[in-house]
Amino acid sequence: MIQKNSVGLLQAYRRELYSYDEVVDRKGELKPHWNVLFSALEKLGLRELGVRNQEIVGRLQENGVTYSVYEGSDGLNRPWQLDPIPFLIHQTEWKEISRGLQQRAELMDLILKDLYGPQTLIRDKVLPPDLVYRNTGFLRACHDVKLSGQHQLIKYAVDMARGPDGRMWVLDNRTQVPSGSGYALENRTVMSKILPDLAESLFVRRLSPFFNTTQSTIAKVFGKGKDDLTIVYLTPGPNNETYFEHAYLASYLGYILAQGDDLLVRDGYVWLKSIEGLRKVDVIIRRVDDDWCDPLELRVESKLGVPGLLQAMRSGKVAVINPPGSGILENNALMAFMHAACRHLLRQDLLLPSVATWWCGQEREQNYVLQNLHKLIIKKANRASRSIYGKSLSKDQLEQLKREIQANPADFVAQEEVSFSTTPSYVNSRIEPRFAALRAFVIGTENGYQVLSGGLTRSSPERDRFTFSNQYGGISKDTWIVGDEVEPAQETLSVTLSTSQGRKQSSLPSRSADNLFWVGRYGERVLSTITYIQVLLNSLSVNQNYGGPEQAEHLTLMLRSLTHLTLTYPGFVDEGEEERLQHPLLEISDLVFNVNRMGSIGSSVDSFLRAIKSVRDQWTPEVGRAIDLIEGSLAKFRSMDQHVAEQRIVQKNLDKLYTRMFTFYGAVSETMARDNAFYLLECGKLMERILSRVSVIRSGFVFRNSDFVENELLEALLNYHHLLGRFRTSYRSQLSLVAVLDMVLLDKHSPYSLTYQFDLLIEYLHKLPSLISGERLNPAQKTILEAATKIQLVDVTQLCQYDAETLYRAELDTLMADITTLVLSASENITNLYFNHVAIQHSLFVEANLTGKDEI
Amino acid sequence: MKYKLIHRTTYEYQVFVNGYHSLACLCPKTTPTQLCSAFTLTITPTPAELVQRTDFFGNTIHYFSIQQPHKELHVVAESIVENLPAPPPLQGKPSVSCAEARRLLEVDQNLRNELLQFMLPSPFIHWEKEIQAFAKDSFPENRPLFEAVQHLCARIFREFEFMPDATTIHTPILSVLKDRKGVCQDFSHVALAAIRSMGFAARYVSGYLETKPPPGAKKLQGSDASHAWISAYVPGLGWCDFDPTNNVIPGLRHITTAWGRDYSDVPPLKGILFSSGKQKLKVAVDVLPLEGE
Repeated sequence: MIQKNSVGLLQAYRRELYSYDEVVDRKGELKPHWNVLFSALEKLGLRELGVRNQEIVGRLQENGVTYSVYEGSDGLNRPWQLDPIPFLIHQTEWKEISRGLQQRAELMDLILKDLYGPQTLIRDKVLPPDLVYRNTGFLRACHDVKLSGQHQLIKYAVDMARGPDGRMWVLDNRTQVPSGSGYALENRTVMSKILPDLAESLFVRRLSPFFNTTQSTIAKVFGKGKDDLTIVYLTPGPNNETYFEHAYLASYLGYILAQGDDLLVRDGYVWLKSIEGLRKVDVIIRRVDDDWCDPLELRVESKLGVPGLLQAMRSGKVAVINPPGSGILENNALMAFMHAACRHLLRQDLLLPSVATWWCGQEREQNYVLQNLHKLIIKKANRASRSIYGKSLSKDQLEQLKREIQANPADFVAQEEVSFSTTPSYVNSRIEPRFAALRAFVIGTENGYQVLSGGLTRSSPERDRFTFSNQYGGISKDTWIVGDEVEPAQETLSVTLSTSQGRKQSSLPSRSADNLFWVGRYGERVLSTITYIQVLLNSLSVNQNYGGPEQAEHLTLMLRSLTHLTLTYPGFVDEGEEERLQHPLLEISDLVFNVNRMGSIGSSVDSFLRAIKSVRDQWTPEVGRAIDLIEGSLAKFRSMDQHVAEQRIVQKNLDKLYTRMFTFYGAVSETMARDNAFYLLECGKLMERILSRVSVIRSGFVFRNSDFVENELLEALLNYHHLLGRFRTSYRSQLSLVAVLDMVLLDKHSPYSLTYQFDLLIEYLHKLPSLISGERLNPAQKTILEAATKIQLVDVTQLCQYDAETLYRAELDTLMADITTLVLSASENITNLYFNHVAIQHSLFVEANLTGKDEI
Repeated sequence: MKYKLIHRTTYEYQVFVNGYHSLACLCPKTTPTQLCSAFTLTITPTPAELVQRTDFFGNTIHYFSIQQPHKELHVVAESIVENLPAPPPLQGKPSVSCAEARRLLEVDQNLRNELLQFMLPSPFIHWEKEIQAFAKDSFPENRPLFEAVQHLCARIFREFEFMPDATTIHTPILSVLKDRKGVCQDFSHVALAAIRSMGFAARYVSGYLETKPPPGAKKLQGSDASHAWISAYVPGLGWCDFDPTNNVIPGLRHITTAWGRDYSDVPPLKGILFSSGKQKLKVAVDVLPLEGE
């Protein structure tokens, strides 16, 4: 039965073919492993495949997998797309391809060493000198920057596709900061969770051995056998298109994710500014492009790099992988000379063919290109330009291109447009053939180059086009190297890492620490504002229901408290307050939904999420899911009409966000390790919580009001502290300010009482590195102790006294003002202790000499 | 001629600078016609690191970093340099013609490999039609290349006005060509662009020039300046220096510090600092002849 159906799906697919396809071999025979996959697909059924596809979309979104495209300052996040149908290659063939990739890697490494060294390739006329001296990737400052060990090229990626001869052809090389292996890993994780049934009896090779090898190589070759290595994963930051991957790989590999300004060069070494102080860095895995690595010697305007880095590398104090300068190998013109270079350097023929490439800097090649322009793909020799397909150009355009090539022939490269293979893809609820290309990943180890048993396949979204760059919306596929039997057991390479190394890596960069602290502060700002508005809306409804006076006095006071709490003046306090008090919902709705208004819930959520994204590597998957939900709320807020002054709608949206924020808190407290990251987040949260509660007490009670008004305010205050129920059971008395303040300030067991929060804050501050010798308290600890003690020593009855004439409660006001000042200065203390190591980097190209002298 | 050379650079900052990384390209070269017998680099405050290395072009570079907070930085480079008399480059015979030189640069692969980077555009040197048009008049096919370059430099000297504040280091060559004013760097860049636009190799030379006080006056301290000129490759003769600012063939009074494709390869001092305030810069150079020694 299954067999029959299988033939059905497969046959339907084969009828669609318009090009050489992956499922058949050169003789037109079905490859057995594709047959197995199609059987599994058949068993699953197209409908179910559609369901799983939706699950994939959801899972990727939950995991926050994005590929952002630079567009405007805000950065557009494009969700990562994953086809539920994998790309298959049989182990036997893959072995062959791997050998070819290893040879390519070796060759690239030798070319790199040669071009920055003796340049025999040029001397012996294998490469034209233009390929070096016209190459924008040739960085003179890097000519004496070398890694120790046998390779200079450590990480390497190759784009391939299957040519008409049935072999894999090399299309492109990535040598500066090869990207994609993290996405491959994430694809596999998602696939094995959502579509485990597809892999049945395919014996898919695992990806983890490659990453273990990466770890152990870096530790052994570049860590010089040191036990407590500090390895940093250098990212350009959250605005980079592949930032997701940087954070993902850093946390997978156990490296510290850092940006350029987290690092500095001192005494010839590179240091990480961490909350424990400066920590010496041994190895940097970089995702910052070559010429941005060091503003002193490379691009002076770069804020992504570290001044003095090249010098630290020269003196062997730090290893940077890949070493800056390796971008020279990405020049497209080099592709035309790979075979000759292989003969020259390795005395071998290339195992993997490349796409035929012509560099127009040579006369014969130029003529060929000009004559055949209409059927070639034209690229710039130096990367960073879109490919032009000759066949898609009009006559005029072809002439124009010809003129451009003739004007600067050395800048142009042409490649043959080859018809590559298609592969089964899930499109429009069907399985259709699509062109695909595969990126393979290689790492240089002590025992030569090793290849990832898998890769990142991308297929073209359109039927007969061969474009799949992520920039332009390609769809990725998990790539399965399949065998006929279970994979032979791998030695577990990870044991070579000493346990102490794993432990030491927990160091937190100061910038991350800063962001975590603000995640805590903004998050709590969101929650406390929601809570207060909910209490307020409740009072408004009650007043309405009982038909109280149009503008009850306690409501006015509460609305004013809201303005004070959110610092959104004039609001209900100053200029124009009369009208706003008349129609409070308009202002409240704005304070909820207006993302562009400082102090609004929308704007705090926005800041909260920004801080969260800058420390993407810190979150557990559970926290990640909660973040995804909150992002959904923000998107909703943005789409809302801010002038919807409908209480029900405001309420509904607030309730939803409220629950989501608590989901976030829950995920944090249940899944995050109790380390510095956690404690900083909690400190930020507690400080904000204290500040918000103090603000409401102060604005509501520094003046004595009528009994009725004060009663209403007290009830609201208890609600705001989540204490109304507890108050009723423990006091069973009438509400009085003395009793309420006693509970709100001093109840040791209520998580929203000030005492409780201070106790916890003191405990958490104590867990953070003290940075003060001799077991003394650091400034943050001292300041908080002072504030906590002030609360502890309070005489509540005294505090409630008021001046008979002015009704002013001087003591209460002073105390609340003091607590606010102290907590704010503790926040500043934390900033100075943990986040501020040096002034902001200010890059200046010092022009030391601008005038010459005339003479004679 | 023997000289004592003092190059003083002072930076004053409005607010404390917490960290400074710098590259200095201040050490005179030793060449067949120039001997640098002593060089000292004195930096205050004392740098945490001071490393000497040779750059891609063979120039001596010093990297230093200062870690202590400071509001003033002094970099003083002192050297003793002796210029040896060299035979005149042409020795009476004319050099190869422009046409012949161009042919040689094309057929001699080894020569081309060596010179290519000085023939191509570089960070500060690229040429538009206007520059090529300007250059053309000096490079007729049958004129000897040496004379052609001399002719070009003489035209720059005659047609351009020396005006210290007319340009900055970032003024494009095309505006210099249009406005016809600038300083030695601009003139050198114009000359480089013109020569390269004609298909020849030329490089930027940074160094010093001894100045003489007006007759009867005493030479003032710090009155000299660093200087820049060019060097063109003439097949058969090798690299030949020309000074378009002064319309002379550099000789005993020109002291060479470094060469590169253009200014960006060899600025005397550049640095990245950690600070947020403004800075003031003072440079004083003395080229003092050591007579009788």
